[in-house]
Amino acid sequence: MDKRIANNIALAILWLAASITVLLLGAIILYVFYNGVRVLSIEFILTRPHGVNAEGGIGPTIVATLYVTGLSMLICTPIAVLAAVYLAEYAKQGRMVSTIRFAADSLASVPSIVMGLFGFALFVEAMGIGLSMLSAALALSLLMLPIVMRATEEAIRAVPRYIRWGSYGMGATKWQTVSRVVLPAAAPRIITGIVLATGRAVGETAVVFYTMGQAIHIPVSPLESGRPMTVHLYLLAVDGINLPAAYGTALLLMIMILAFNLSARWILKRYRKV
Amino acid sequence: MTTPNGVATTTGELTLVSRQMQVREWLLAAVFFLCAFVAVLAVALIFTFVGYKALPIVTEVGLWPFLFGRVWASSEGLYGILPLIEGSIVVTLGALAIGTPLAVGTAIFLSEIASPGVRAIVRPAVELLAGIPSVVYGFFGVVMLRPLIGRLTDGIGFGPLTTWIILAIMIVPTIAALSEDALQSIPMGIREASYAMGATQWQTIHKVVVPAAKIGIVDAIILGMGRAVGETMAVLMLIGGAAVFFEGIGSPMSTLTSQIVMDMGYSTGTHRTALFAMAAILFVISMGLVLAVRLISRDKE
Amino acid sequence: MHSALIALLVVCIALTGCGRGGSRAEDQVIVTGSTTLLPIAEQAAEQFQGLNPGTSVLVSGLGSSAGIEAVIAGTSGIATSSRDLKSEEEGRGLIDTPVAYDGIAVIVNPGNPVDGLTTEQLRAIYAGEITNWKDVGGADRVIDLVNRDEASGTREAFKKIVMGDAHFDRSSVVLPGTGQVRDVVSRSPGAIGYISVGFVAPRFTSTLVKALRVDGVKPSEETVASQEYPIARTLHFFTKGEPTALAHRYIDYVLSDDVQDGVVIDAGFVPVTARDRL
Repeated sequence: MDKRIANNIALAILWLAASITVLLLGAIILYVFYNGVRVLSIEFILTRPHGVNAEGGIGPTIVATLYVTGLSMLICTPIAVLAAVYLAEYAKQGRMVSTIRFAADSLASVPSIVMGLFGFALFVEAMGIGLSMLSAALALSLLMLPIVMRATEEAIRAVPRYIRWGSYGMGATKWQTVSRVVLPAAAPRIITGIVLATGRAVGETAVVFYTMGQAIHIPVSPLESGRPMTVHLYLLAVDGINLPAAYGTALLLMIMILAFNLSARWILKRYRKV
Repeated sequence: MTTPNGVATTTGELTLVSRQMQVREWLLAAVFFLCAFVAVLAVALIFTFVGYKALPIVTEVGLWPFLFGRVWASSEGLYGILPLIEGSIVVTLGALAIGTPLAVGTAIFLSEIASPGVRAIVRPAVELLAGIPSVVYGFFGVVMLRPLIGRLTDGIGFGPLTTWIILAIMIVPTIAALSEDALQSIPMGIREASYAMGATQWQTIHKVVVPAAKIGIVDAIILGMGRAVGETMAVLMLIGGAAVFFEGIGSPMSTLTSQIVMDMGYSTGTHRTALFAMAAILFVISMGLVLAVRLISRDKE
Repeated sequence: MHSALIALLVVCIALTGCGRGGSRAEDQVIVTGSTTLLPIAEQAAEQFQGLNPGTSVLVSGLGSSAGIEAVIAGTSGIATSSRDLKSEEEGRGLIDTPVAYDGIAVIVNPGNPVDGLTTEQLRAIYAGEITNWKDVGGADRVIDLVNRDEASGTREAFKKIVMGDAHFDRSSVVLPGTGQVRDVVSRSPGAIGYISVGFVAPRFTSTLVKALRVDGVKPSEETVASQEYPIARTLHFFTKGEPTALAHRYIDYVLSDDVQDGVVIDAGFVPVTARDRL
């Protein structure tokens, strides 16, 4: 066969693969949007679900989702950033570093149901925190940890060496160099990593299923339980009675995650040139 | 890492300041190390805690009857997970078979063919696909795909086929993004040499670039596999929840992950121990896959 | 041991209630029992507390037996139960107030020519012994079984009334929700499923399912309330002797049209008032 024909066929197939991927995304977004936009309203966002079929809005579930996501971000970020500082700036390559990396990779690939059961066994039961925002946030932050760690480490490594030399040359200590020079320079990419990890936490279901509880309730203290949007969507979907509310919840969830993704992109674009 | 601490210690005055600084710097380094060690600690904790909850299975059911028992019927006190293991394998392999060509094809397209303009659309689309929550995929599968498959297979629509398709869509971004990274890391010069010898674009791709990036692509597929094995909510909503062996692509089955969620709510005693043991198995599998990636990548070096 | 645990749980629930509401014993009633009745008891409690500020009705679902045990032991004011009293529970001074009926309709696709089945046929179908519609007078088509998850109260009742000692066929689809069962059956020509009678008519959807006659009786509010329809049960509230004033008011509220025509119907049950209309 003529190699040019083979070439064209192969390229066409690759085009097709990429088109299918994009079309799938378009199909899912359009389908959820088309069905969800009809129920979406200010009322749907603000009011409580009522009755056995969860009619009305989904307000408390939005609050619970934002609450637990914010809390897990607060827990995860300092640890993950400092861990990355250690790996990128302080550690000498060796067995300890490769152990830490292996642990981080493993943590990143722990199935979310395993993390959910672990969170239930340790935080909810053994530590007695109970089904609560805190239990869920602790479990979620373990899930976010490797993502933020990796993003931060890459960001720090991307900061040019000579900037550090300049700092050292002026007599700065290592910590001064890291905290005043390296981290600010790496900040946009670190924030992007945090935002992306947070987006992942918003969409997480299996972990919060066993650590947060399912009561529809606006949480105030971190020790209270609540039902996040993902669990609400799951319960509506498997119950299969009030599907309009399920579409609305799915759409809001997608909008939130889209917003996280786009803002991460925007941060990166906006500050990269600086 | 070349200058452990920047301040020279030549004069007495400076030494005094430095000593203080040195202690502070050392303490900070220790704190950073502890933060990094949290990852190790977390993995160890998961391992011990899930393991601790799972261990009684050895005495209550027995390792052999648990792993190779052919019947899972908690109401009758039968806890054999062989059908669930088969379910997990069937679901994972099918999703990989559908998802891998799509993902690797997309990655090659992005890396080798797409113009910057097209790339600027496809790449974010792949990343957004990765961001959609699994429960939304599951919901989409239940309301949209399931009735379609039901009509196609003249059945109910729950089962491996529906699960494969949705799961394949879910693992495409993982495999595509990592494969693309691998392809991008191949130096441009190799491609130029191939073209200079009169090779077409496709010949360059499949004889030169892809073989050179092979290890990275295999790693990507293994990590995609990890995602498929561990995926819970979408599988739970589509597989049908029947703990039986494979009977056809349109017949319901169950997997390790989906059975855990189905039963967790009302399980007690040995039943709950069995669920934790299943979680422990999943954890070991996921760690095994990460280890496999490490070993493969080490061979490269 | 088991009952001690339940008693402890109930006391815990009561204590947390006291701590929060700061209410005295006469302003509080503890309702314990069936998970099937949980939506009714909970919704009614919420509305009741809204109407009567300062009162507190604490509802929990631990299972019918646990509820009855708690009321006999005096740790709970009202037991909710999806079953009648067992012989050993009778003669302990429990007063029965039926609050609703739970009828379970067997549903098939509207295109299915089969109109009715006997309980025996139903049992054989769900045990996996009859696998083709032609064996029960229908077309030559494989029967697609749709079952509920083990945590479901509907499954529990179906198993008890229809299956007896027979085991469910394990290869059937297991779905965790009524709406899903209904949706699957409405779209699949060979499917059979079971749902609460109240969900047979469409809600939030336009798809249709056909409820079969069982032993010749069509499920309806009337046949469920009159107990003519075989797959039905009465849902009870039990109190030990005369209920306290507050418990009495709460029970009256559950029996009022607010609850009977509201939550009871929303949850797919048949109002106890349907009996009076017979």
